[in-house]
Amino acid sequence: MTEPAAGHPTSRRGFLKLGAAGTAAALSRPLPVGAAGKTITILHESSFIKPFDEYVVNTLGPAYEKETGIKINYEVTSVGSLPTRISTIAETGSGADITENGLLQVTQFGDKYLDVSDIAEDIGKAQGGWYDAGREAALVEGKWKAIPFSNIGQLMNWRTDWFAEVGVKKFPETWEELYEVGKKLKAKDHPFGFELGHGFGDNHGWLYPLLWSYGGAEVAPDGKIVVIDSDETARAVDFSRKFFKDTMLDDVLGWTDVSNNKAWMAEQISCTNNAESILWFAKREFPEIGKVTGQAMNPAGPKGRFHLLDSISHSIFSFSPVREEARLFMRWLMEPKQLGGWYAIAESYYQPLLHGYDNAPMWSVEPRNLPYRDALANAHLPGWPAPANRQLAESVAKYVVVDMFAKACAGASTKEVIKNAEAQLKGIYRAA
Amino acid sequence: MTITSERLPVLVRAARRRAPLRVLLDRQSVFSWLMMALPLAFLAAFVGYPFFYGILLSLQDRPIGHSGTFVGLKNFVTDLHDAIFWQVAINTFVYTGVATLLKMVGGLGLALAMNQHFRMKNLVRALLLLPFIVPTVLSTVAWLWMLDPAFSVVNRLLVALGWPKPGPSWLGDPMLAMASIIIINTWRGLPFYGITLLAGLQTVPPELYDAAAIDGAGGWQRFRFITLPLLRPIILIVTLFSVIFTFADFQLVYVLTHGGPQNATHLFATYAFDIAMGAGQLGLGASVALAMLPTLALLIVALTIYMRRD
Repeated sequence: MTEPAAGHPTSRRGFLKLGAAGTAAALSRPLPVGAAGKTITILHESSFIKPFDEYVVNTLGPAYEKETGIKINYEVTSVGSLPTRISTIAETGSGADITENGLLQVTQFGDKYLDVSDIAEDIGKAQGGWYDAGREAALVEGKWKAIPFSNIGQLMNWRTDWFAEVGVKKFPETWEELYEVGKKLKAKDHPFGFELGHGFGDNHGWLYPLLWSYGGAEVAPDGKIVVIDSDETARAVDFSRKFFKDTMLDDVLGWTDVSNNKAWMAEQISCTNNAESILWFAKREFPEIGKVTGQAMNPAGPKGRFHLLDSISHSIFSFSPVREEARLFMRWLMEPKQLGGWYAIAESYYQPLLHGYDNAPMWSVEPRNLPYRDALANAHLPGWPAPANRQLAESVAKYVVVDMFAKACAGASTKEVIKNAEAQLKGIYRAA
Repeated sequence: MTITSERLPVLVRAARRRAPLRVLLDRQSVFSWLMMALPLAFLAAFVGYPFFYGILLSLQDRPIGHSGTFVGLKNFVTDLHDAIFWQVAINTFVYTGVATLLKMVGGLGLALAMNQHFRMKNLVRALLLLPFIVPTVLSTVAWLWMLDPAFSVVNRLLVALGWPKPGPSWLGDPMLAMASIIIINTWRGLPFYGITLLAGLQTVPPELYDAAAIDGAGGWQRFRFITLPLLRPIILIVTLFSVIFTFADFQLVYVLTHGGPQNATHLFATYAFDIAMGAGQLGLGASVALAMLPTLALLIVALTIYMRRD
């Protein structure tokens, strides 16, 4: 829990600060009366990129305080605990004023968040427009309940040296081509490793795109009719089975999110699907592996190429006592000067959802990350084309799609696994 | 007349009320309740309240961050139609049953061995408690590495002994994954059994063994007719505790497999957590968690009756 705002104007300390800051704050836009001296608390999950968090604490926060007299309290919560923290705040109605969201929280907590449509539209107009993925991540029933910050995409990671050994210099364009390469590499004791267990990111990261690229989907765009039982899904499942059997390690069925990173650094696998952290970590800790780690967009299927949108965004709690101040802060934070600096410090780990950054210098730091930018064009939330809602959250929590593929890979028939998934989805969507 | 006669009892009552606190405290019933008040309040706040709140939740459609609406037993009906729920139920029973049995037999063996005299007995006894003392999450992470095919000590050994590379996939195969979590749970819970039963063994009067030996009883007979009957109450208590802990286990599975592969290791606690926190449905999650209750309650009642009868 956060401390109650130390600089509340009614407290003595707050009052003194208010007086001191009063002259310094040459405000570029009108702040509510008595805003100076208040504190805005932002909840953020601890970043994989350490300087990213430090940038708020050491640069952005102090700069804003100098400008307005409002103190920024940047509260970091451990990786994985963000949803639980947001629930606690939403349940108790107290805690942080602004929170970071992972991909499903915007819809889950949408009615606890302020409508920030005006801010989001203004930012979009000023900075080249939002990617569609940005809208998908933040709009709840037509209203912006969050201001998109970035995607933390998932791409194909491939060992360029081992692929070269079987004559492949450029990452395969389609799943079928990748499969052929994988067969050769497995024969050379360089199998693939794609998570099929109960992690969170790296299983959904390739399985949803695989399903979509064959034309399959869980639910129709109306968010009501279950459409998983289709020939398209069946083809995706059939592909996954042979892809698993002929290219991968058996162990992937039990993998969680850390497993492929470990296997990568142990030089056990030649291809996987992961976020940028794998290259980042390899470059820092295993430079030799870093040199031969390539990144590429997901292969295409018969119906196109897709990626998983793993967006993060910021929302303001509607019950926050400083919500008006928080609105102004979000406007300030999303100005190119602040936002650009914050993106740049993390190189391209956080991929902006604004077109204004498509050619920003951050992209030239590591050209291997460019596919992350290009992947934004066809990135979607889990459950797409249906809207992300509580039924979808339940499907994800029950690993319906992941286990459909995993069971097929473990030997069950395509028909059986699709029937199971359909029954589960019908249960989930009927219960609503 | 009537006025005075009515005054008298009032006065008497007033005098009684002014009886010193000391007298009140001297009364055993008052004092014992006073002593119990704090623990009772503690239980009510930290066990009673969450318990009844859990029941209330299970009867509601209660998305996280929103107020709930009463839906009666709908959540339980949903559970009964959920294939994963049934798989989770079977998993939990298998996990609890096998792990408890292994711990019971192993713990008894351990206690019997530790009851012998040998050098550095106390040191060995202290070391035995280690698996129980190390925080579960920590020791489970260690197991995670030990079972990882790339780094696994177990697999390297098996491969060295001629098993085809890369060795079994401990956490990728549904059966092996269940076996793995059972083994780790047993490893962790064995010392609890061992040390408790050892304490029990030490209360068995040595004269009984002497007398039995004089009557010509062998080692097995002494164990069967002296040790086991005298240990029985302790075995029952330890088993009761162990079953409860194992049935409601969470950390081990959450760290090791998160219920995978394909729900093969999902237990009531991990599944309830995923539904409540992952899917954001507190009501449905609570109903999954409460599904544990009847079994545990029955077990406790049965064991209590059994012990009373003795």
